[in-house]
Amino acid sequence: MNHLLNRRHFLNRTVSGLSSIALASLLKNNGLLANESPIRPSIDPSHPYAPRPPHFEPKAKQVLMIFCSGAMSHVDTWDYKPELFKRHDTPMPGSGNLITFQGEQGNLIKPIRDFKPRGQSGKMISDLLPNLAEMADDMCFIHSMTAKSNTHGPAENQMGTGYILDGFPSAGAWVTYALGSENQNFPAFVAIPDPRGVPQIGPRHWGSAFLPASFQGTAFNANKPIPNLARPDSISDKAERDTREFLKRLNDRHLEQNPGDSDLAARISSYELAARMQLAAVEINDLSTESPATRALYGTDDTNTNKAGFAKNCILARRLIERGVRFVQLFNGSYAMGEGVGNWDGHKKIHDQYAVHAPILDQPCAALLKDMKARGLLKDTLVVFVTEFGRMPTFQKGANGRDHNPKGFTVWLSGAGVKRAYSHGATDDFGYQAVENVTTIYDLHATMLHLLGLNHERLSFYNNGIERRLTDVHGNVVKDILS
Amino acid sequence: MKFLTLTLFLITSALAADPAGIAFFEQKVRPVLVEHCYSCHSAEAKKLKGNLYLDSKAGWEKGGDSGDPIIVPGKPEASLLIRSVQHLEADMEMPPKKPQLPESVIADLVTWVKMGAPDPRDGAKIEAKRGDKSWWSLQPNKTDLNTAGSIDDFIGKKLKEKGLNFSPPADPRTLIRRVTYDLTGLPPTAGEVEAFVKDCQTNARADKDLIDRLLASPRYGERWGRHWLDVVRFGESNGFERNFIIDDLYPFRDYVIKSINDDKPFNQLITEHLAGDVIGKDRPEIEVGSAFLVAGPYDDVGNQDKVAQANIRAATIDDMITAASGAFLGLTINCARCHDHKFDPIPTEDYYRLRAAFEGVTHGRRVVTTLEQRSAHAAALKPLNAELKRLQIEREKIDADIETRAKAALAKMKFDRPKIDQFGTDETFPPVEAKYVKFVIQSFTNDYQGKLVRAGGGKLTEFQVWSSDNRNVALASNGTQAEGAKSATAEDFPEAYGPQYCIDGQRGEAWFIGNPPELKLTFAKAETIQRITFINARGDRDTDESKVRGATPTEYEVRVSVDGITWETVASDKGREPWTHAHGIAKARSQIITADEQARLTALDRDIAKTQAKINAVPPLPQMWVGTHKQPTEPTTVHKGGDPMKPGALVVPASLAVLNQVTKSYELKSDIDEGQRRLALAQWITSNDNPLTARVLANRVWQHHFGTGIVETPSDFGFLGSKPTHPELLDYLAAKLVANGWKLKDLHREILLSKTYQQSATYNETAAKEDKSARLLWRFPPRRLSAEELRDTMLTVAGAMKLEPMGGPGFRLFRYLANNVSTYIPLDTHGPETYRRAVYHQNARASVVDVLNDFDLPDIAFAAPKRANTTTPLQALTLLNHSFTLDMAKALSTRIQSSDPVTQAYQLAFQRNPTTKEHQAATQLITMHGTEAFCRALLNANELLYLE
Repeated sequence: MNHLLNRRHFLNRTVSGLSSIALASLLKNNGLLANESPIRPSIDPSHPYAPRPPHFEPKAKQVLMIFCSGAMSHVDTWDYKPELFKRHDTPMPGSGNLITFQGEQGNLIKPIRDFKPRGQSGKMISDLLPNLAEMADDMCFIHSMTAKSNTHGPAENQMGTGYILDGFPSAGAWVTYALGSENQNFPAFVAIPDPRGVPQIGPRHWGSAFLPASFQGTAFNANKPIPNLARPDSISDKAERDTREFLKRLNDRHLEQNPGDSDLAARISSYELAARMQLAAVEINDLSTESPATRALYGTDDTNTNKAGFAKNCILARRLIERGVRFVQLFNGSYAMGEGVGNWDGHKKIHDQYAVHAPILDQPCAALLKDMKARGLLKDTLVVFVTEFGRMPTFQKGANGRDHNPKGFTVWLSGAGVKRAYSHGATDDFGYQAVENVTTIYDLHATMLHLLGLNHERLSFYNNGIERRLTDVHGNVVKDILS
Repeated sequence: MKFLTLTLFLITSALAADPAGIAFFEQKVRPVLVEHCYSCHSAEAKKLKGNLYLDSKAGWEKGGDSGDPIIVPGKPEASLLIRSVQHLEADMEMPPKKPQLPESVIADLVTWVKMGAPDPRDGAKIEAKRGDKSWWSLQPNKTDLNTAGSIDDFIGKKLKEKGLNFSPPADPRTLIRRVTYDLTGLPPTAGEVEAFVKDCQTNARADKDLIDRLLASPRYGERWGRHWLDVVRFGESNGFERNFIIDDLYPFRDYVIKSINDDKPFNQLITEHLAGDVIGKDRPEIEVGSAFLVAGPYDDVGNQDKVAQANIRAATIDDMITAASGAFLGLTINCARCHDHKFDPIPTEDYYRLRAAFEGVTHGRRVVTTLEQRSAHAAALKPLNAELKRLQIEREKIDADIETRAKAALAKMKFDRPKIDQFGTDETFPPVEAKYVKFVIQSFTNDYQGKLVRAGGGKLTEFQVWSSDNRNVALASNGTQAEGAKSATAEDFPEAYGPQYCIDGQRGEAWFIGNPPELKLTFAKAETIQRITFINARGDRDTDESKVRGATPTEYEVRVSVDGITWETVASDKGREPWTHAHGIAKARSQIITADEQARLTALDRDIAKTQAKINAVPPLPQMWVGTHKQPTEPTTVHKGGDPMKPGALVVPASLAVLNQVTKSYELKSDIDEGQRRLALAQWITSNDNPLTARVLANRVWQHHFGTGIVETPSDFGFLGSKPTHPELLDYLAAKLVANGWKLKDLHREILLSKTYQQSATYNETAAKEDKSARLLWRFPPRRLSAEELRDTMLTVAGAMKLEPMGGPGFRLFRYLANNVSTYIPLDTHGPETYRRAVYHQNARASVVDVLNDFDLPDIAFAAPKRANTTTPLQALTLLNHSFTLDMAKALSTRIQSSDPVTQAYQLAFQRNPTTKEHQAATQLITMHGTEAFCRALLNANELLYLE
């Protein structure tokens, strides 16, 4: 690096810092810089959701992203570390006086549940999520994930938008900006908040930031339909139809007098689309057409109302995917009540907290995967199960829970284009730091886009002086997990 | 010297023409350059390195970023190209990462340079892949206003070049609608339209009169202030994880609106933004301008990790750098945070020069007021504080005497029971039948400072009641109910902090004890009980003390009742060892205090309370979210690779090198007062020889009049931004702006009075083929109303808009829930308190509100100098079905009670009369479904939403 830096002085004797030349060389050595001109999809403002071609043949056409809010502990779920059982309640070797987000660390603590081999692959998964564990053979794990921030807000920003700062478009907005949608009766991008509320960064998870607003996610769930969807009760069906007819005549006359303005035509057609959406969106939330067996599979009638609510959201997610919605984001957990009460943020009493959260997630989410598989939806849909970062293998000093850990955690993928029953990368013996095939959120996003037939280095949007990308100037497709 | 230059020129020319020299170049030099250099240093390079081209003579003559030629003809030993291939300069070896070129090849290159470096590649054109200091926007503005011509000349010239013409003038109705929206963001009234149409027939200056009237209207500042608030990323919550709302930043919004209405010169406005606290100390109307620095988002989460803290601080200052460089200079200096700017000639040091300027600024609030107010405030408080002090001294004297005696008494007192236990205190009593139990608390562990001082914060995780057969009958699972006030609430979680947590059998959640501090349990049936246990801790004793949160009851009574009417006290803290020595003294006091002392203390307490009330009644000095300032203790350094943990070279507060060839530079000492750093920066940005500031501002003005700027990327005048369609016009406007003393109103007048602005928006297919989006302005580009204009229009048309009072705290279209982090829940109904101009909406980040955000009001994480313009079905749904539309339709329908409601409504909404056909259709709709249905349709009409 020193060599590279100094060579820069030949070209510009006033510079210091990590030079562009060094970065460019690095990128070039990785074969990433070949003819990479930006691709900005051209959007017809009157049909923003029209399907647009990918950059190359895609493996997946749709994405279902499941986000577990609050940072799910990988060492208690997916990432089996026998050393934690062996060294239970002893100091973590080499950790010294480690200070993490909330402060000092105590001893290593064994996982809160035992691990067992699952499926034909024998993947070791804990008893915390027994139903999901059953689906191990359909999962492709990345155990070596890393995040850039140890704080929920910025880290959620990164998982959702690629940047730890506020103000960047969500992955779903990028994807719908690039590809439009297969279903013109629906928003191209739907976010389904947990029945308990929204995650820490709320609507930024599905925001469009500087991309056109049409690509922001529309947030609704089984309990709360699309806002302003229904005609007000005070207006009869006939009055509605006559009013719209009158409006159409007003607009048609106006268009006649102002020919050639595509905006005006687009607005007229947006009213027609809205009418179709009214029908389709009412139908989508009508779960009465689901069979009793399906409802039981998901647990929609569970006495735990949070679980039942999440189960209904899971069915809603499947139905949206079935109808061709491009990007569906399903949330588990909310910030509500702060630390760990409504989400996976188990700082102080992780046993108690996870005993509440695991059953809400487990059965419905496993049912969703199972049901999608049975219906053949995993052929074209990429499922991505993520959280913002992991948790420490130690307990916090003086507490019965684990602090934030962005240095190593687990996500899994399933469905179109990814290997089944596969594990990529690893953390160290304790699950503290990713050490093998270290993977960044940029890499994960790059891989998602790749599976959708999009080159993450070229899909871009010019904003305030920069060709912006979901992956900033980083990211390598994780080729190892592609099927 | 002249002679020498001439000679050199002759020699070079001679050599260039020398066929032998050219042949040598072609045989020996060109192949080497192509093979070893072009991959990084040519127009074909995938990534040009160091801005150096070796594929043309001009390339090596110009050199790389530094601008020095890398070949000195005739002098190989002074030519960097030669020295680098010879590996003579340590760590400058070329080609990189490869073995040295063969000696014979190097010898050829040396020979070639000795020959004078004959190079026939004169014609090769350097196509820049990035901008250097010759970039258009960095050049001085050389416009001579005396000879420059007019706006219409510039526009007309470009049109003519393309074979295009201006459209005919817009008709008066169209023009007054356009101008009124443009300057005020509101529709004209039907009366105003009618008067203007008439005026146009007789008054040649009708347009000028109209523009003057509108520019003088306070509505103008509300409209153009909103534009500026977008540019300076004004948002009233901190964003990031917690996103708490900021209730005292609105004075900055009012300041912007007032400044624009007053036509405050922008060089002054910018200076106030950067250093208002320096130039306007104790002048709130100026000081508040510096809230610009802290109007952006920042992360305030309490991170314990040192590296994370440094990164958060770096991100916080980065927001200020990004905002200031984009808003004032139209430069993306933020791109130079980790490395030199990739596309513009901005060294990374420039970024850290700005950091040095902002290093002393921290987000937060402080008192902003006049000296007069400060002294009036102090004068009002002085006698009251003196009186308070006198009373307190008297009281302390009496107290001290009591305390001396209490201590002596305490030494003699005997306690036969242990002190209470935060992990569980038992009170046993003879078995008694009870259906109700009350736990009445008189004091807590934190209540004593030698005497009883209520501190609050009492908590209980469990309260157990044991039956004679040793069952905990208090458990909710037995049907027991708990009642008691709580000291905290969470709006979105009604059960939070409630007394039911005392009887849930778990020591996790606690009851936050409120006032009165009293727990009442009702059993499902009467029970015989003999013991209670109360617990504060959240876990067992064997873990550690952190299980104890808040305060535990120390003095209390346990009362029981069978009927809920008569109560019997069965236990209390009597006889327990005091919690602390201070608690013991407090206990002893109550035994030894005399009646006379008690009376005097009571009287004194009453007087103290009265005085305190008077003190509280003195209005506090106003606080505002303007940031706080502290002299940095460390000098600023470059962060290598943008990493704050890797300090690089020292950087002093100074002007930016990117403009050092055109704008007078400055350099300050590294320990200079932080306020002076910002002031110096402001003066440099607003100096008349800074070519960017006026260009960027003039372009913004043009953009808001025509929808698109002369430069389409209003905050990026760099290489990746778009180039001006009319560079001379932009320079003319910028020069005018400076000549007008940096005031906007005269510039508005000139633009609005131009033929260019006043032409019609009529579509013309032939012209559209040449220039679809009318960037060349062959017509006035039509536009949709902005989010604010739309909401303001609906309110205005419906007659519901309240224009006065202007300013003050913003209204909210969301419900704000704060509980460690914040949630903004959009309101389903918008009450009359929200019927104000949208610019007064409290502009919280990551809050999505119906109507406004649907129509492209940005979530203001960064500056939004240009609004998106989208058309979505969700807009249609909102505009059709949101209760706001229905409310406005209703209001409009009650407004059109004349004999001809249809015509009246058309005049209000569109400022025209309906056609006969329209009148018929409308009447029919009204007959069948009422006027509200008709009004709902009008409010959805394109004619309302679009301007021609």
